[in-house]
Amino acid sequence: MATRVVQDQTARPQLSTEVGAAIRHVDYLLLAAVAGIVAYGLWVLGSVTRDDVPGDSGYYVTRQGINVTLGVIALVAVAAVSPLVWRRSRKLLYGILIGLLVIVLAADAIRGSQRWIDIGFFRFQPSELGKAIVILCVAGYLAERAKDVGRMRTVAGAVGLVAFPAFLVFIEPDFGTALMYVAILGVALFVAGARLSHLAALLAAASASTLAILWMLPAAGIDVLKPYQVERLTGFLNPDLDPSGTTYNITQSITAVGSGGLSGRGVEGATQTNLNYLPEHATDFIFSSLAEQRGFFGASILILLYALVVWRGIKIVALAPGLFEAIVAAGVVFVLAIQVFVNVGMTIGIAPITGIPLPLVSYGGSSMIVSLMLIGLLEAIHIRGRLAGRS
Amino acid sequence: MAVRIAVLGLVAVVLFCGLFFRLWALQVISGDRYLEDANNNQVRTFRVPAARGTIVASDGTVLAANRPGTQIQLWPAAFDDMPRARIRSEFRRLAPLLNVKVQDLRKALAQGKTDPLSPVTLKTAVRNFKVNYLLEREREFPGIQINAIQLRKYRYGADAAQLLGYTGQISAGQLKAREDDGYAAGDIIGQSGVEASYDRYLRGRPGVGQVRVDALGRITGRQEFSELPQPGYSVKLTIDAKLQRAAQNAIAYGINLARRQGEYYADGGAIVAMNPKDGSILAMASNPTYDPKVYVGRVSEKNLEHLADPKANYPTLDRPVSGLYPPGSTFKPVTALAALETGLITPGTVLRCDPSYEIAGQTFSNWDPFYNASIQLVPAIAMSCDTYFYRVGKMFYDAQGSPLQEWARRMGFGRTTGVDVGPEPSGLIPTPAWRRQHFTHAWDQVWHPGDSIQLAIGQGDVLVTPLQMARFYSLIANGGKLVEPHVVSQIEEPSPNGQAPVVVRTVKPPPPRDVGLDPANISVVQEGLVDAAQNGSYGTSAAVFGAFPVSIAGKTGTAEKYQQIPGYPNGKLLDQSWWCGYGPTSNPELVVCALIENGGHGGTAAAPTAMRVFANYFGVKPTQLGAIHSD
Repeated sequence: MATRVVQDQTARPQLSTEVGAAIRHVDYLLLAAVAGIVAYGLWVLGSVTRDDVPGDSGYYVTRQGINVTLGVIALVAVAAVSPLVWRRSRKLLYGILIGLLVIVLAADAIRGSQRWIDIGFFRFQPSELGKAIVILCVAGYLAERAKDVGRMRTVAGAVGLVAFPAFLVFIEPDFGTALMYVAILGVALFVAGARLSHLAALLAAASASTLAILWMLPAAGIDVLKPYQVERLTGFLNPDLDPSGTTYNITQSITAVGSGGLSGRGVEGATQTNLNYLPEHATDFIFSSLAEQRGFFGASILILLYALVVWRGIKIVALAPGLFEAIVAAGVVFVLAIQVFVNVGMTIGIAPITGIPLPLVSYGGSSMIVSLMLIGLLEAIHIRGRLAGRS
Repeated sequence: MAVRIAVLGLVAVVLFCGLFFRLWALQVISGDRYLEDANNNQVRTFRVPAARGTIVASDGTVLAANRPGTQIQLWPAAFDDMPRARIRSEFRRLAPLLNVKVQDLRKALAQGKTDPLSPVTLKTAVRNFKVNYLLEREREFPGIQINAIQLRKYRYGADAAQLLGYTGQISAGQLKAREDDGYAAGDIIGQSGVEASYDRYLRGRPGVGQVRVDALGRITGRQEFSELPQPGYSVKLTIDAKLQRAAQNAIAYGINLARRQGEYYADGGAIVAMNPKDGSILAMASNPTYDPKVYVGRVSEKNLEHLADPKANYPTLDRPVSGLYPPGSTFKPVTALAALETGLITPGTVLRCDPSYEIAGQTFSNWDPFYNASIQLVPAIAMSCDTYFYRVGKMFYDAQGSPLQEWARRMGFGRTTGVDVGPEPSGLIPTPAWRRQHFTHAWDQVWHPGDSIQLAIGQGDVLVTPLQMARFYSLIANGGKLVEPHVVSQIEEPSPNGQAPVVVRTVKPPPPRDVGLDPANISVVQEGLVDAAQNGSYGTSAAVFGAFPVSIAGKTGTAEKYQQIPGYPNGKLLDQSWWCGYGPTSNPELVVCALIENGGHGGTAAAPTAMRVFANYFGVKPTQLGAIHSD
């Protein structure tokens, strides 16, 4: 396997044949599923936000359309580049990520808590891009030490690698995305072949620190998170406790989803969405609006499309040309799957409210572009895997 | 590695199956319940007004309290999807029930269109049987809601109407000015009198909560308070309830008396009864008065029209505080004190008291055309000799500066007293500077000798409130100290189970302030006032107080004022009857200032009126009136 990789790098076929072969080896089912999700998402966004900006019913859809266009360009660009390029430049990428996160924090101190960097027409969230970079870096790190992955040293190194950006994101504060980084670390270690005992210890440590942050330290008078964050994260466990206060979002969201029934209330009849009972119906709670308008059938179609993406993704993990690519593919698949689960789970009351967007659907440039970029990574691995398998 | 990939796939399957099961459970199994929730789901924030604090008299008599009432409200949101015919038939049934025109109901609905989730009040204080009728047929009247509310109840009714004031819905202007103090649209706030000036204590803190209403605007769930209403504090007045009623009756008596003596235009009056030591007001009455009930519940425009009708002589005006009158001869002690302090005269200065005094071609007459002698200050005050004071006025005209006006200001005129109810005008002490500013015509702009002469006897442009007069006579009674009049003694928090209320705040006005008068001069004026009320041969109110069991000192006044009287488009010059004084003279406990509008001479109307207040205060019988010879 390793020799084939070397061949792929050294023996350069004609550009035209390479492009032709690459196009032939694209995973079209994956692309179709992604296109379906994006199109479905745009359609839902259009109906949900048509009254949000008076006089401009297409305000959000137009902007999201631009985001999708940029995302597609990113997808194609990433798919065209060999993932090994990222592997080689992972230290640079890591440095860029840390730099951007520090800039956000420094800007925070000036303007108060925000998660993005303003670049003119666009507000860019480095923590979203961080998902891709953390995957590539941890994959590169582990692939380099494939033989030593069973050693405590290697695991600790990977933990340190992820913990730094995760900490920076955590203090932004964006608890949800920080957790996502930790999930990437877990999946990467698992796929790389880390010992189950090490993984168990890591899981225990993560659980313990989560408990400490949410419960023990506040009980001892040390507030790591702001009280509203703790309430939001734990409120889903008991939504009837304070229906008008912090769990208002959950209660309203569950009511919206439930009221959709089997076939939905339609665009006009979705009172939860239309009367603004649902908070953030274009971003975090867009799934609730979808489920209210389109019912169980409509929601199932979206989840099935995600399942299709995950299935294709896991297949790509299996046929990846190398360990690096396998870890990257697994990281991408799971970062998408976990985001879907946490976001949808949040809207139906089985996951905490963390502000994690629904990938490929929620309104927002950074998330959309980075999600499509991640799909591009999967395609790149798929293409190289197929090419490697052919010769 | 293949095993691990399979495990990952399994995890993904489990995650997605979890989502599907939960979705199935929510949407398919419990879908109907959530659909119902969504339809019922209109969470509204509501405000429940706190029970307004009571206003009690100094002896604990409750003057203003609350009684339960009902309020019928219309929720505009409920009519959004209703067919027109349905609305019409509902309004047709509702109108006769509430005694409201169908047109008004339509107006209320149109008014609510801008904010469909805020109810419009159709009527308050609805009779019980109508409330029951509506409650039994709630389903037939969608969008109509019945609330229990508190209505204000004034135990002493018209006796203290202007003093206590009334409450009403906050106006747009008031809201703008007080939004930061926690007031909100629809709040009931004090609009005048004590209700207004102590509103922040009386109002309490409204409760805030949330309630679910269905698509028709009917409340479907329990009201959940996030903040419970906190009842307002009680306000304890310095007012003596019995004396207040006696004062109110005394004015009516004085008006009657004046009319019997031919003063047919007598139609109003004011009384201030005050403790001269600390300025606490024991009674403050105004006539004509009204029943504050007209402001309780749904205010009827017809009743308010009467209050605003000039023919009714402005019943809502709190005359003791807000009414402006020329003081007439009750002002002479001011002139006397100022002249003594300035050194223009001494107690022994002898001036002519003759039928008329001429200067610069103008003739000023004495009220008593038969007296002609040279007298000293004490008898001049006692018999209220105008020509004596004209001559003093001329001395002020010739003096440097405006010492009379300066002393008048120091003794509390031309500025507000600081009393804790309002609005309080400052009155007017005319000065040469004021003339220059106020008039445009060259002749009017000049300060003439006549202006000083008029001012010396409290005529001309000078304007005072009865409260300013009472404060000045308190100054004479207490030996030269200016008090700050007040009607509230303390703020109390009511305790449960009939325990004594807890005093939250004691209203402490600043201590009486010495204005720098020579005590010897004050005692000369005091002597004049005692003579005026008791000297049978020439005292102007001796016929009233001469035989009174308690020693009283005081001064009459007859002030000419142009009054707007129906039939006299340019106004008619009428006598305002004044009496101000105090007793017992050895250790004054009570100052009374009485005024009867258009009541004729001070001795014939105001003095007997004031005497009734003293009689009630000291618990003695009113004395028979002798033959009155008075200005």
